[in-house]
Amino acid sequence: MSDKPVDKVEKPVEKQPTGAAAVLDEKKLSNKELKELKKREKAAKRAAAKAAGGAEGDNSTTPTANAPSSVTPAHLKENASRENNKNKDKGHKTVSHIKKELNNAKIHNPNLRTPSMFGHLETKEERISSTAKIASIVHPSILSLTLKISTYKIVGSSSRCKEMMRAFIDVINSYKTPEGISLQRHLTGHLSHQIEYLKTGRPLSISMGNAIRWLKQKISIIPINTTEEDCKKILTEEIEQFIMEKIEVADKVIIEYAQTHIHNNSKILTYGHSNVLSELFEFCAVEQNKKFEIYIIDSKPLFEGKKLAKKLSKYDNIKLHYNLINSLSSVLEKSNIDFCFLGAHSMLSNGRLYSRVGSALVAMSSRNKSIPVLVCCESLKFSDKVQLDSVTLNELGDSDDLINTKPFNKKGFNLQQYITKLEEREAKENEKNNKGNNGKNKNNSNNNNNNNNTKNNATNNANRLNDENDLSNWKQYPSLNILNVLYDLTPPEYIQKIITEFGALPPSSVPVILREYKSTT
Amino acid sequence: MSSHASHSVSNSASVNVSSVTDAASILAANKLEVLIERFISQLKRRQVTGSYNVAIATCKFLMRVTSISRWNTAQEFITLLRLIGKKITDAQPREFSIGNIVRRVLALVRDEVNVKIPSTVATSNESNTIAPVNTSMFQLLVTTGKEKENNNNNNTSTTTSTSTHSSKSDLRSIIIQGIRDLMDEVQSVHENIELMTVDLIHDNEILLTPTPGSSTVLNFLLKASLKRKFTVLITENYPNDIEVCHGFAKKLANANIESVIIPDSTVFAVMSRVGKVLIGARSVFANGGCVTAAGVATVCECAKEHRTPVFAVAGLYKFSPGYPFDRNSLIEFGNSGKVLPYDDCDLVGKCEVTNPLYDYVVPEHIDIYITNIGGFSPNFIYRIVLDNYNTEDVDLS
Repeated sequence: MSDKPVDKVEKPVEKQPTGAAAVLDEKKLSNKELKELKKREKAAKRAAAKAAGGAEGDNSTTPTANAPSSVTPAHLKENASRENNKNKDKGHKTVSHIKKELNNAKIHNPNLRTPSMFGHLETKEERISSTAKIASIVHPSILSLTLKISTYKIVGSSSRCKEMMRAFIDVINSYKTPEGISLQRHLTGHLSHQIEYLKTGRPLSISMGNAIRWLKQKISIIPINTTEEDCKKILTEEIEQFIMEKIEVADKVIIEYAQTHIHNNSKILTYGHSNVLSELFEFCAVEQNKKFEIYIIDSKPLFEGKKLAKKLSKYDNIKLHYNLINSLSSVLEKSNIDFCFLGAHSMLSNGRLYSRVGSALVAMSSRNKSIPVLVCCESLKFSDKVQLDSVTLNELGDSDDLINTKPFNKKGFNLQQYITKLEEREAKENEKNNKGNNGKNKNNSNNNNNNNNTKNNATNNANRLNDENDLSNWKQYPSLNILNVLYDLTPPEYIQKIITEFGALPPSSVPVILREYKSTT
Repeated sequence: MSSHASHSVSNSASVNVSSVTDAASILAANKLEVLIERFISQLKRRQVTGSYNVAIATCKFLMRVTSISRWNTAQEFITLLRLIGKKITDAQPREFSIGNIVRRVLALVRDEVNVKIPSTVATSNESNTIAPVNTSMFQLLVTTGKEKENNNNNNTSTTTSTSTHSSKSDLRSIIIQGIRDLMDEVQSVHENIELMTVDLIHDNEILLTPTPGSSTVLNFLLKASLKRKFTVLITENYPNDIEVCHGFAKKLANANIESVIIPDSTVFAVMSRVGKVLIGARSVFANGGCVTAAGVATVCECAKEHRTPVFAVAGLYKFSPGYPFDRNSLIEFGNSGKVLPYDDCDLVGKCEVTNPLYDYVVPEHIDIYITNIGGFSPNFIYRIVLDNYNTEDVDLS
């Protein structure tokens, strides 16, 4: 923005020399002209970007690498520019065009209702992944990853980040630089589209954001004269090393620090599921042959604790207890718990722990029972954000996930649509059958074995709607909302120490690590 | 204070030991066994559940007992009631309102006897005129429990021999009327509590209730919605109350109250926005603590961390004279299959799973009790309990 006024100031100054010394020195002139042209182009680009994607908001992450070729016409005639754009369509797509297509494929759920306090929170917007247009832009591995993330098949900050980086390797390997542009300048834009799509599954985690920032920086510093093949090779190696260094080895180091707290006959409290923690417990049970008890606290709607329980149920050394969060006080009251271990989604720089919703309750109750609360967190998850409560920044989950009174399997959007269609069709057929039957034999409905079941189903459905406790039709009530936030914020007072791969530290020292971490990359 | 209470209790118990044998014979003579057995099995089968329903059922049961039982002296009736009370509280030891109602009726009878005796034999004993002043501290100075008990026994045996026949039917009808009043009181609990709603909720307030199973809370909110506009956050209380919670939310939504269902884990995240926490108690103890649905203790703890006021609503019939010394004896455990369904067959048997149904909330985490007779601070509850129960009946055995 600040360039514009400068531009205007310089113009009158420059026009004089161009008029006077035009013929005298071609080189100087051309240089100056080039500069001026560039500046104009920039301004034009901005204007064009504004016009094209006013609603999208400016994306500083997509520096419109291929823009100059397409947007220069902005200060020419408009008609010409349109033609130009059309021509460009046949070749490679413009950034704004791709964005538009991505946006068009978005399905905004009109029924989406959020409680008044939480209207500002990020939520997912699902897209139809099957359209040919989307498929031509977004890489298949990103498509499948997005689906897996949106159905919570892949959960957890570090595993999401790991999978995303692996998908990026695929993207980079099948990427081909368009003619006339270097990989360094175009690939980031290409990745941005993939990321844009990935965001629709669920908002990015802090670790993913950090990893993406790192990757973009790595791309930009590849020497300009390396061949495409070499570039890809370098990047693939870099990414693999990144996963290794920042997640896998980091976890091993964290485990090395944390295992000192688990002794024979220790009683450990933990909440939900965390990759590091499950590895830590496995390490203690298998490598060190310690015998200990774990109290897993779990909650709706994801029941991640079950995942942890399943992983650990193999080991005889570990005695498992599984409880839901409503029995937290009973668990703490009855059992002498030694340590409370928590995983993290992110550590904020004011020392607060941003983690799966419920962690704060567990940490609070543990602190009040004077049980030390330890957080295991890779430095990749550290964020320079500052936040004071869980309402201002959070992620909204699907409200419909909560109306189930029993554990369930989350389905993708398309599958769900298909199923509802099937059900509707079945219901219609049932109706037809029932009508036919009723017409034929009103008296002996019992004899009709074939349709008895379906009838029962229909009556069951009717009963369910009439049942005073059933809420499957909750959207009919305008004043009823269901809130499903995914994270909460644990104040630093509750946390005794944070174990990272750089060592253990109190929550107040998070900014120190942030600085150290930044200087190392 | 409590030490004295237990002292007098032990005294009365020792007195009763002698009368237990004839109590059993009274029971046999009265042919009450059928009635009692029926009520006990109803309780054991959980055909009557929920403190309100249990309280009403107990009232009705005691009314029948009073009308069909045969006894000669009031003391005999008291022994009989205590015996029955012991039996039915043992049938369902965690439904505290059974014991509460029995104790209320006992207090009623004792009051009646205490009032009557001085009137018939006003000059026989000075101490008896003072006895109805029901402060244990005061009793400590005036007379010991044993003396008083003896006096009572003497009085009843000497005086009632002359006037029993006239006063017995009197007493019976008075007691039945008393029980009827008690039932009215239990039934009108909601209305009396509702009167206080306006003073407690301000406009556009956000309330959180972790006990969707409580009908008192529901009525409180419905009543309040007539005068105030507010938002209610309802925790799910998964897995035990989830259906009830949905029904609760539906009723609130039908009454046009902004209601938001939140999972139990979200309490901490939203607590900073909550103006008041409203809990329904299952039973309240003399120290001001209460037993309610599982998970509420954590919610109240969280409210305290955020300095959010916690209101507990409870009818007077939920106030127990006991002290919750043994937390474990208060809490019942339910079906653990609800916590870990048998679908997860690879986990069943490998994990220890518990599903507590109730939770004990310590008095420090509650700011105010709202009852049908007004609002009280938790550390004043022991006085309310003293007003309504006789110290001799704290222990029914």
